[in-house]
Parts: sequence; structure tokens; C-alpha cells
Amino acid sequence: MPKSDPYTKHNKTEGEVNRWTCEFETRNHSQSETNKHHSVIYSPGMYRLPQLSPLFLILLILTSLVFQAGCAPQVDDSIQRNDQLTVAAASDLMFAFQEIAELYEEETAAQITLVFGSSGLLTQQIEHGAPYDLFAAANVDFINRLAEQDLVFEDSIQVYARGGLVLAVHRDLEAQGVTLADLRDPRFRAIAIANPEHAPYGMAAQQALQSLDLWEELQPRLVIAENVRQALQFVQTGNAQAGIVARSIADVPEITWTPIDDALHEPLDQALAVPRLSQNQALARDFAAYISREAGRSVLQRYGFQLPEGAAP
Amino acid sequence: LMITGWSPFSISMWVAVWASLAALLIGTALAWFLATRQFRGKWVLEGATLLPLVLPPTVVGYYLLVVLGQQGIGPLLQTITGIRFIFSWPGAVVAATIAALPLIVQTVRVAFASISKEMEDAARVDGSSLWQTLWYIELPLAWRGILAGGLLGFLRALGEFGATLMVAGNIPGRTQTLAMAVYDAVQANDIARANTYSLVLSLIAIGVLIVTLRISRVFEDK
Repeated sequence: MPKSDPYTKHNKTEGEVNRWTCEFETRNHSQSETNKHHSVIYSPGMYRLPQLSPLFLILLILTSLVFQAGCAPQVDDSIQRNDQLTVAAASDLMFAFQEIAELYEEETAAQITLVFGSSGLLTQQIEHGAPYDLFAAANVDFINRLAEQDLVFEDSIQVYARGGLVLAVHRDLEAQGVTLADLRDPRFRAIAIANPEHAPYGMAAQQALQSLDLWEELQPRLVIAENVRQALQFVQTGNAQAGIVARSIADVPEITWTPIDDALHEPLDQALAVPRLSQNQALARDFAAYISREAGRSVLQRYGFQLPEGAAP
Repeated sequence: LMITGWSPFSISMWVAVWASLAALLIGTALAWFLATRQFRGKWVLEGATLLPLVLPPTVVGYYLLVVLGQQGIGPLLQTITGIRFIFSWPGAVVAATIAALPLIVQTVRVAFASISKEMEDAARVDGSSLWQTLWYIELPLAWRGILAGGLLGFLRALGEFGATLMVAGNIPGRTQTLAMAVYDAVQANDIARANTYSLVLSLIAIGVLIVTLRISRVFEDK
């Protein structure tokens, strides 16, 4: 067995470090059979591999970079294409705006990316510099909040629709004409609403329940969704038996719905504006105008929105 | 620098590869430092590298939003580097890098620690400089651990959701990764899309994990 003290055994010069490494390994290989406690480093598996230098690691990284570049989709990053539009829209617009965007894309060369979320979330994102070209909120208050900070073009602000609330019930309950007061019935174990903190339809739902003195009583059974689209999803999947959602997204096969009186909550005046950070102002304004022209209006109407009187033709 | 119209898969891969490479570089340096050096207050550095693992991702995301945002050093960084971090893919890379770091540091550190001190000492006695010891002895012996750490970091970066959502937003074609696309699809009750994306993510995770475990078998040898 070779002596294991490396301090005395090897005293070579700096230039010989490389050769020394090889010698050292051969020596330790035989040692590993006797010194079990060192088995981690002297593991026989390691010597089946060629001596790997860090060069190997660098090569690996370079290879992955090349692979990365090769498989990256070919997109022209340098030029902001002037037919690209990113539209941030309140969740209640999900169905209506998908349809309007499709119509608009057919008529023009534009490509529209829709981003849905609660109006409060999207407002907060714009405050942090989100690159949205157009923002359609479910409540004009959020647009005003941005206007006060001079984050949107004041002259682009436009009320395009007024939304309504409905009480959605999962179809399996076979309930007809359910009213908010009926929610006292314990078979509505979970009642979904959007988050009143930052979602306009959640705020309206809270106001409606408060108007009827139901808010406190139903509190334990309320399920708070991130936005009104998610509130609907909770009912669609049957995880919530009922939900207070936007009329504009209520036409889905899994639910039945009854309208909620507009007088029970503040009006849901929906407004849009072009953020100052918009990279395609002209197209954003054109799409905004399209929404309030005939094509856009008829779609909005079909999804149950009330339209502002005397809007631009 | 801006990307538009990418699929969630491309964005996920792009972000995860950059993030795991960045985390591997930083993580390996930190791991080597922690494994081989003794210094006062070492536990502070150790704790700091573990922090992203134990902090809620939303807290990490919130800090990043504050630091990199319009109210933080965001505008300054944009002037200097021309890169905007918030609501763009570089922000997602930063979030994923931080998420991947603890796993990489832990894995690589074990690999460095398992190199016998005698071997390093021997090299030093033979006149090998610190750099030479690292280059010719430590890195070649620890490469399995480093590679395993990198792959684990890649998976963690690929799965990153909370912090990324807050920093990079959830913008289809720009910052929407696979993990976010699943969230979106479930919210929209789009079961088919949720299934597809979840399956893709699961297959990648299982596949890479198998490779990682095979590579790191050096730790499990009897």
C-alpha cells in the first residue's frame, strides 16, 4: 500500500501539476480498496470517465447556447412592427374582445395580443411600466386613477360600454329564477365573486350584497376569485354552486343566470385609454375607435353590454 | 430585445436556459466559496443563499418589482443597459435565476465538499496556485455535481411562477411561460390547453430529473 501522506511524497514544481494529478489518481485507486471512508472521492465510477477538465463544462455551456440560438423562433426583435398591438382588457371582456379583435384582424393587417386580468391588477401593472398599447378597464375609476398620474393620454379616454351583474348558478342545481336573497339557502355552499379589492365586478357584487344586507351573512360562504373570469370558472366547474359575475361572460353552457338589478350597485361604466408607454399609439387609437363603431358595438351589445348614448358613429 | 409572438414553450425554454446558466455561474462561485473558505459571518452568506427557497415567491416578486420597477432602479438600469426588466423577459430571467440559485448552491457545494482536503493540500504543497487547484483539481472532480445542480436549477427556473408573474406579468407572446399558460388556461376553463401544457411541463421535469439523478449517482455510490 502506497504511503498516503501527500505532503512528503510529492514535492514537484509548479509546472508539473498536471502530470502529478494523473499519478495521484492512479495511486489513490488502489488505496480506495482499503480506505472505505474515502469512498466518495475514490469512487471507481469516476475513473471510467476520461479526465474531464473545466473546458468540458465551458463547451457544454457553449453548446447549449448554440442550441438555444438555433431553436429560438425567428422573430425580428430590432424593429417594433407597427401592426402589433397588445391590449390589456378587464376579464369581463374576454369573450367580447376576442371576437372584436378577430374582426379587426380580418379587416386590417394588425395582430392583436389580448391580456386579461382584473382592472385593478392591470392598472397596477401600467403604473409599474407594463408595455400595453391600449387598456380597457371595467370601471372608469381605474382609468381616472391613471389619468391623474398622467400615465394615459387624456384625450384617448372613452367610455365604451356599461356592464351588468348576473347571478350565475351551476346547471346541476336545476334552479330557476334564483335571486340574491335565495343565496341564504345553505345548498349554495360556496358563492364565487371577484376580488372586491381590485376587480370592479367584485366591488359591484359586494355593493349589491350590502344593499340587501346579505354581505355579513354570506361572508363565510364567499369564495374570492382573482378576477370575474375566474369567479365564473369556479361556478363552471361546480366548485362553487353560485357566483356573481358579469353579464358579458355568463353565456356558457355550464350555468344558468338571472340578472341583478343595476340599482343595487354603482354603475359599471367601462372606459378605455391609451397608456403613455404605448408603442403603437396610432393603431391603439384606431382599434379603440373600431370598438365604438358599428362592428364593435354590435358585438358588445350581443354580450349584454349597454352602450353609451350618442357615441361616435 | 423585445420578443413578441413566441409560444409559451419557447419563452419558457429561453428564460429557463438563461436563468439556469446565470444561476450556475453565480451559484458555483458561491458554492466553492462556502465549501472551501472559513470566514467570520459565513452563516449570513449561507442563509442568504437559502432565502429564495424559504421566502414565498410573491415576496421575492414584490421585492423585485420594487427594486427593478419605475420607482426603483428600473429607469436607471434602462438608461445604462437599454434593458427594461419589468414586464419583459429579462425580468422573468432575473426572477427565475433567484429561484434556481439555492438548489444549485446546495448541490454544487456538496460536490466541492466531497473532494478530500488532502488532495487540495497536496496540490498547494506542490506549488499549485489557488486558480490552478480550482481549474485542474476541484472543477474536474466536481463536474458531476455542477452539472446536476445546473439541471436542477433549470427545472426550478422552468417551474418558476409566483415571482415571475409579479415581475414579468402574464403577457401572451412576450412573458407568458408554460407555467403561466397553465394558470391562464385553468382560469379560462380551457381544459384541453391546461392538459397539454401540464403534460409538456411534467414530461420535461421527469426526463431532466432522470438524467440528473443518473449524473449525480456519484453521491450515492456505496
